[in-house]
Amino acid sequence: MLYIQNRELVVPGQLIAEGGYNVREGAYREGKQVYASVVGLADLRGQDIRIIPLQGRYIPKPGDVVIGVVVDSYYSGWILDMNSPYMGNLFVSDLLRRKVDLVREDISQYLGMGDVVVANVKDVDERMRVQLEAGEPGMGRVKGGKLVEVSPAKVPRVIGRKGSMLNTLQDVGECRLRVGQNGRIMIWGKNPRMINAVVEALLMIEREAHISGLTDRVHLMLEKIKSEGGE
Amino acid sequence: MYEIVSSVRRDYIADLAREGKRIDARTLNQFREVSVEVGPIKSAQGSALVKVGKTQVIAGIKVEHAEPFPDKPDNGMLIVNAELLPLASPTFEPGRPNENAIELARVVDRGIRESNAIDLDKLVIKSGEDVWAVFIDIYVLDHDGNLIDASALAAIAALLNAKPLEDEAWTLPEFPIQKRPVTVTVAKINNKLIIDPCLDEEGVMDARISIATIEDGSICAMQKGGIGYFLREELEQAYEMARAEGAELRAKLG
Amino acid sequence: MKKPEKLIVNGERLDGRAPDELRPLKIEAGILERADGSAYVELGANKVLAAVYGPREMHPRHRQQPDTAVLRCRYNMAPFSVDERKRPGPDRRSVEISKVTREALESVLFLELYPRSVIDVFIEVLQADAGTRTAGINAAAVALADAGVPMRDMVSSVAVGKIDDTIVLDLTKDEDQWGTTDMPIAMVPRKKLITLLQMDGHFTKEEFEQALDLAFKACEQIYGMQRQALREKYAIKQEE
Repeated sequence: MLYIQNRELVVPGQLIAEGGYNVREGAYREGKQVYASVVGLADLRGQDIRIIPLQGRYIPKPGDVVIGVVVDSYYSGWILDMNSPYMGNLFVSDLLRRKVDLVREDISQYLGMGDVVVANVKDVDERMRVQLEAGEPGMGRVKGGKLVEVSPAKVPRVIGRKGSMLNTLQDVGECRLRVGQNGRIMIWGKNPRMINAVVEALLMIEREAHISGLTDRVHLMLEKIKSEGGE
Repeated sequence: MYEIVSSVRRDYIADLAREGKRIDARTLNQFREVSVEVGPIKSAQGSALVKVGKTQVIAGIKVEHAEPFPDKPDNGMLIVNAELLPLASPTFEPGRPNENAIELARVVDRGIRESNAIDLDKLVIKSGEDVWAVFIDIYVLDHDGNLIDASALAAIAALLNAKPLEDEAWTLPEFPIQKRPVTVTVAKINNKLIIDPCLDEEGVMDARISIATIEDGSICAMQKGGIGYFLREELEQAYEMARAEGAELRAKLG
Repeated sequence: MKKPEKLIVNGERLDGRAPDELRPLKIEAGILERADGSAYVELGANKVLAAVYGPREMHPRHRQQPDTAVLRCRYNMAPFSVDERKRPGPDRRSVEISKVTREALESVLFLELYPRSVIDVFIEVLQADAGTRTAGINAAAVALADAGVPMRDMVSSVAVGKIDDTIVLDLTKDEDQWGTTDMPIAMVPRKKLITLLQMDGHFTKEEFEQALDLAFKACEQIYGMQRQALREKYAIKQEE
């Protein structure tokens, strides 16, 4: 028995359902009852109940793509800030995808302090110690581009339904974007004016995520800046 | 570690400055939107909530009996205190005021004191024994940059809002305010001068100069901050910016 | 102001309220830009702000807990919030209130989801007229939800007391000063779990039960307003 509709706004402590549902993030079970634990939008799919949060810090989970910044190194790897309460560990072997003889190789040639890295969350243990990997194509150290931060809860809006917002940003904005689940976004493009326009669009998405018609407004804004021309 | 992240942001803001642009789309000499709400705190003698963009500061006035300083037996006292509340920024921590909080309080103090904004001669009850002490407490609620200008404006707005004391020793018909000092901060980024730096801009600025002016446009206090430098022409230009903007801000005091 | 002969005349209190009536209450969620979550509460002449930061990395590291987040609370009064200027900084009263506030809030939070981190709650009283700790808890609960911290439920709080031998809800400063009893309470409203209770004064068994009745009823009302404040902030708005 469901007490709410799909996509309905719920608040912590609110009764959502009763019965044998699968309770996912943002909800909890007490006996037969299922309650919301965060402010968010109900996402009801079959027997699955999930609340999509509208606020909150990024908490890493396996499989997420994140954009980290190297803040420290140790003998066999690096520590990355992930815009989260937790740091990520990246072993050199998970960056290079091969065995590394640490006696012979100086790993500082691969990553340095302040480097931006696209990585995949490989494992998170019960104490929230995070292992990253960055060996796949398109991962690893980022070259050039601009880094922007938005609230991690707004990442789904940046991507949009079936990637619609992301497509608008890339196509109209004439840029390529890489979106980390942790709210960090890399932007590459040829025209600095359009890069700045996309940055402004991202800030607008963050600010106006709760107002409907957002994709259209972003589209209009980017078109307008594009039509003004110039570098 | 946050410094490293901001290095990307630093480049962005510096690039914009070179083109005469700013991260929040303002012009170089455009102040953020300012609002002044007087009297929100009824438990204070006078109070004001000032918003400069997303920065929010409350100033509250309290007046109490005090023993005067031995070298100033015929003067009331002015005490300015500033709290960088931990709720205002992830970088503010609970505890005793740090150097930033103390600098903020002292810069606000100098603007009020050196302009003789308060007629302290009138705040004497009995020479050498009993005077009025005016406490200005600056409460920073939300930090999005330029706390000095927001705090100084809140302080003078709260003073202008201050009511006579309900105390038999208080004989003045109103609170003795005679000047309206207003402080305007100009920051230097990539050799460009910008007025009213927001937090992101403060993070990358080379230096700042805060200039307090009074009604006739003359200066009553200044403070340079940051490890960078100003050239003479830059200071003169900053003063012109502060003078012009000072008049605008003063108009908001009613 | 001198003590009036009677604090309740013809069933009306000094400010015109009925014994079981709450002062005007206003709750707003998310009013600060920098904080992860925030709330503003006005309860009569009380004006209270709460901000939440976290979960964030715990410093110093030796205070990290391997299996849970740590909740820290700081209750603080502005120097201009009371008649006589309060010296800035913590005193014994505010340290105690910070502690009982933390204990009132902690059990509703799923702290175990965030090992080794810290969640900070900062409560600032801008204007005080008795009941600041209850207003602070009401604000803090909304601010925690606004920060996206997972919670079992809200925490709602109110004070009850006794003046002129009558049990009354939500005392003002004058009533607190001249009355005989003050009892702040906080509870997890849905399951009626009492997470804060302090009392000074005097209650008979019947008075105590009557006071609890009033508190339960009022917390229900406050609970509704807390949830409403969150809904107002997060409802999807149609384009204007």
